Amino acid sequence: MKEFSCRIEDPNGLHARPAGQLATFAKRFLSDIRVRANGKEVDGKRLLALMSLGATEGTELSFSVSGEDEETAILALEVYCRSMNADAKSQADQKDGSTHAEP
Amino acid sequence: MQSPEKHEALRLRGIGITARRAEGRLRFLHRVKGSRRSKPTLGKEAEWARLSAALAAGRKKTALLYDRALQMLGENEARIFEIHAMFLEDEDFLDALRSEIFRGMSSEEALERASREMEAMLSALPDPYLSARAADIRDVSRTVMDFLTDDAERAETDGQPYLLVADDLSPSETILLEKSQILGFITARGTANSHTAILARAMGIPALVSVGTLDESIDGAYALLDAEEGTLSVFPTDGEIDAFREKLKSDDRIALAHDRYLRSLLNKPAVTKSGRRILVYANLGDSDEVAGALANGADGIGLLRSEFLYLGCSDYPTEEQLFRAYAEIVERMQGKRTVMRTLDVGADKRIPYFGLPEEENPALGFRAIRVCLARRELFKTQLRAMLRASSHGRLSIMLPMVVSVNEVRESRRLLEECMEELQRESQPFDSKLEFGIMIETPAAVEMCEELAELVDFFSVGTNDLSQYTLAADRQNPALDALFRENTEPILRMIRKAAAAIHSRGGWIGICGEMAADLHLTQYFADISVDELSVSVPYLLGVRGKICECN
Repeated sequence: MKEFSCRIEDPNGLHARPAGQLATFAKRFLSDIRVRANGKEVDGKRLLALMSLGATEGTELSFSVSGEDEETAILALEVYCRSMNADAKSQADQKDGSTHAEP
Repeated sequence: MQSPEKHEALRLRGIGITARRAEGRLRFLHRVKGSRRSKPTLGKEAEWARLSAALAAGRKKTALLYDRALQMLGENEARIFEIHAMFLEDEDFLDALRSEIFRGMSSEEALERASREMEAMLSALPDPYLSARAADIRDVSRTVMDFLTDDAERAETDGQPYLLVADDLSPSETILLEKSQILGFITARGTANSHTAILARAMGIPALVSVGTLDESIDGAYALLDAEEGTLSVFPTDGEIDAFREKLKSDDRIALAHDRYLRSLLNKPAVTKSGRRILVYANLGDSDEVAGALANGADGIGLLRSEFLYLGCSDYPTEEQLFRAYAEIVERMQGKRTVMRTLDVGADKRIPYFGLPEEENPALGFRAIRVCLARRELFKTQLRAMLRASSHGRLSIMLPMVVSVNEVRESRRLLEECMEELQRESQPFDSKLEFGIMIETPAAVEMCEELAELVDFFSVGTNDLSQYTLAADRQNPALDALFRENTEPILRMIRKAAAAIHSRGGWIGICGEMAADLHLTQYFADISVDELSVSVPYLLGVRGKICECN
């Protein structure tokens, strides 16, 4: 079993769309993917379950991945979460009034 | 058709949506409410098969609604149907349904229970955005329920087309109205700026909204709907019917004559009486619409929303795929100009693999040129594809959502970089292709003189320009009147931008909704607007109006 955690940086939290995207992404892997937050644990491949975590900005999501492709899955999920947060951040920067990201 | 019973004539007022008239019988839309528990089940396996079929039909319908909404309303509004589709595929929802069925429930009851459970789970979440999704569960569940109960949501009819009466219609109900069955519709609630109203207008269905509660005793009654006057006459007098039919006849005559007149203009240039030529271009959301644009006499394409190629995919399209699609469009336009807008996606647009997060204010968010400049490889792939396609016809490139001179300089630099690369690779392209920007923000208007130095043309996106100038959300029905009553600041901005670009030898077009507003055509002619770009159904009307202008 492989584990990692990431903090949600999207000011809107884990909404319907990002949750749906995460679930779709998780479904690519054979491994069992569990996500824990706010004292609840759910199947990371299920949209409504992910939404039921009520994960808002700053919530820590803990992933446990187990199965034959767990190595790949955990790496991919880490990268996915990082890019999800990077997108949230670049958007938050915009809200602060700065211009678009410089190259 | 007249009702034989003696009834007091009843006149109601509302907000007319499409300036058209229709006569016929009123049919109330009845929604089945309450318990369906009494329904006998067919046995577990058979019920599960029945429910699965309804779910499959629901998914298909949601996909259809998404596509239709996307075409008629745009991506922002279509998003709701994307989430609906995800709900209908959710394993937890399906598990709950399955377990209800195998406990011996009927499909209807299982659906009701499972969706109530999901609704309760979502509404209990403290986050208001997440808890608001409960309403979406209710919507999809009703969609599936319709397939189970078949006629449950229909109005009782004798097969004759009718005037539909409902408390309110959701966009998903409106978008699916059959024009052959529905003469028009009347709703107790609703606003002139709702998605439902926008759809009715697009579909050309006469409609009257916000008439207040209607007594069901008039179900089946004969009525006259005058959406132009904003009235509904139930149990009309003979005199009223005669007068109404006269109006209908003259509407038909006018429509016929007008249609013939417009058809006669098809292949003639749109020139005002004082001899000013205005190009009539088409706004296209997809390559499928090219044929329609040409058949309706488009002088070119004024706005090709290049997102369409990115929407249907599960991953970024390759340069080769983009090139082939763009080249095909340019070729089909046979030397007529095609203005391609570079990618206008953002957090509010449905492209999952972009991995862009949800935003609280998508209209003010990370979108369009901002995304392109932050993701240069993506942008360059599209620019290279457009450049290569430019050797197949007459292609212009246009940037969306510009607020600064730097964005344009930087994009231009990337475009030149792409040109150098293509040159090295000996790929042909049109090195003199026109480069322009959309004027959609007050910042771009203020900077229009500097911007005009950098580009060959401007195209005014009046929808966003109005929204950003009036500080008013276009989706908010309470602001309907505000948009209608405040076109003056937008018109002044267009005049200013036109003067700036003309003084540097460039041209200006308008591609927002205002371009199709025939009350404004004379003004646009007066300030020397060079091109009006409208969606395909408006092409002929605008062409006709230009010919009537001075």
